[in-house]
Amino acid sequence: MPEFLSRQRWWITRVLLLPLHLFVFAIITFLLLRLVPGDPVASVLGPNYTQAAYLTMQRALGLDGSVWSQLGRYIVEILHLDFGSSIQTGRAVMSEMGTRLPGTLELAVQGLFFTVLLSLVLSYVAVFHPKTVLARIVLVYSRAAGALPEFVLAVWALFVFFTVLHVAPAPLGRLSTDLPTQTVITGFPFLDTLIQGYTAGAISMAAHLVLPIAVMAIASSAVVIKVLVSSLQGAIQDPATAFRITTGSGRRATVLSVYRRAAPAVVTLVGQMFGYLVGGTIVLESLFGFAGLGSYAVKAVLSTDYPAIQGFLLVVAGITLIVYMIVDLAVMTVDPRRRPGSVGSN
Amino acid sequence: MTTATLPLTAARAERRKYSAKLPRRRIDFLLLLPSLLIVLLAIVGPFLTPYSATTISGAVSSAPSMAHLFGTDSVGLDVFSRVIGAARYNLVIAVATTLLCTVIGVVFGLGIGWFESARGAAGLVARGTTRLFDLLQAVPAILLGLVIVSFFGASVISLTVGMAIILAPIQMRLVRIEVLRVRKEAYLDAARMAGQNELKLLARHVLPNSIWVALENMSFLFATSILLTAALGFVGVGLRPPTPEWGSMISSATNDALTGRWWSAAFPSIAMMITVWAFSNASHALFGRIAPKKLAAAAASSSPVVPSSEAAAEAR
Repeated sequence: MPEFLSRQRWWITRVLLLPLHLFVFAIITFLLLRLVPGDPVASVLGPNYTQAAYLTMQRALGLDGSVWSQLGRYIVEILHLDFGSSIQTGRAVMSEMGTRLPGTLELAVQGLFFTVLLSLVLSYVAVFHPKTVLARIVLVYSRAAGALPEFVLAVWALFVFFTVLHVAPAPLGRLSTDLPTQTVITGFPFLDTLIQGYTAGAISMAAHLVLPIAVMAIASSAVVIKVLVSSLQGAIQDPATAFRITTGSGRRATVLSVYRRAAPAVVTLVGQMFGYLVGGTIVLESLFGFAGLGSYAVKAVLSTDYPAIQGFLLVVAGITLIVYMIVDLAVMTVDPRRRPGSVGSN
Repeated sequence: MTTATLPLTAARAERRKYSAKLPRRRIDFLLLLPSLLIVLLAIVGPFLTPYSATTISGAVSSAPSMAHLFGTDSVGLDVFSRVIGAARYNLVIAVATTLLCTVIGVVFGLGIGWFESARGAAGLVARGTTRLFDLLQAVPAILLGLVIVSFFGASVISLTVGMAIILAPIQMRLVRIEVLRVRKEAYLDAARMAGQNELKLLARHVLPNSIWVALENMSFLFATSILLTAALGFVGVGLRPPTPEWGSMISSATNDALTGRWWSAAFPSIAMMITVWAFSNASHALFGRIAPKKLAAAAASSSPVVPSSEAAAEAR
């Protein structure tokens, strides 16, 4: 048993560290938010309030006592997975997250999927057919990585496809306003319409999603293509490729082996892209009128709503850290050299 | 030592190749030119523009014409004057952010890389700080920026400091990896034997050898901070409305664009793209000449085995 443990340590420690990281993160955000100027009690009460009203409201919001006793209560609460209630709306942060987060996550995952797909196709053209016109365009485009943020692209896309060409639906939410909303099963809007076989809804939703997803894929694939192309070119130069060719592997097998050797750097990057896309989604949501985390976050921040801010920061950080962990474990599974403690790692 | 002579000959070969291609210097200058023009425009632009960037100067939403080159926005402000006027704010914020986060990143990267595997308190603090930086990066930059900037009120200073905190981990990681590479080099032992103390060692030998990747990355950070400022302006925590800023200009022009008045959103976004493009070209021109060897050394040693969680920060 001890031998098993020491051999499997690389992933066990990684998994066990995650809750610890989140816990530290929660405490740090709690303390940092208390350093921030602004008094939520006063902002709830409005300009005129008595001392007594102030004290009762302070107690009701859980903001009485010293910072440390508040921290103690907060720790007990989050250990019970209770993030408190929003100061502004009075609704539990956890349930608000439950209704808003799935939409944001779904959009981010869809964006990520198409980003990866587009990058794979374009990098194949750029690396394996380098003399074509498309390859040159792809390379120039990937070098300009990041010069086009998604919200600028989105405004342009809306102007061209909605205002001028009238092919895109109005940016007023996920469903056309004349269609009934779908019943909530999983909370993920598009998935829900598919599960119920609500075809008209699914088609309308897909039509609404084309622009935001295309914008995300175009804006964020530049970075992925840049990394993918350079690691593919590196992998082609490897002796392993020459070995494949000299031993008579077909073109397909050779290309596959090149992709496999180029994979780890890209898998890691794709994990990081997820966090980036969640950020991009928050911006796009406001533009396309989707309900999601973005508007909640902006509202919470602008009204110094401690529980809501702590809640969404913790939830987003939790999701991102889980994705990073999965990516790290995937890379370490594929390539044992990357496990901690292996020869050559530092 | 044979390895000591190798870089010398390589350098000589490089120099010979360079002198054979002298006209490239002119190309370098041409690559620098657009960014210099933009800086010049940001400095003198507000004195040349036909209207004030913050006061109403004409009819609401009029199309581009001779009187208003880029048209006017939905409030009646002249878009041309605002695009030029915004360059100053956006450039100052982006340059200050880039410098500040590089300074923070270099200081922390040096300290962490140097003390990371030390025993005792120093090592613990260094490793703990790495973890804190990791946690900082777990929240998307735009969300973190939203929280930081809105709390301290949107001003040039709060935007700069906030974005510097958000972007510093990127530089920290780049420097840290370089320090880990440099740490074992023989010239450090030589300097130690010559009697230099550790602090001097860090400043005179470790710093100059581990800073190049971070310096080269500054163009990426510059672009990122321009876009992040714009994105923050877009979600509504940027500089207050009459102040010209590209992101908030695009944001407030969204409705214009949706109703067919494209000019108030198009010109600020074109200005933003040209700026990002110009400065990344300038950085290529500068670093392609000054530091190709240093960068090549760094690239060669960051061999295929990079601890996975670190690899991506460089790419982003």
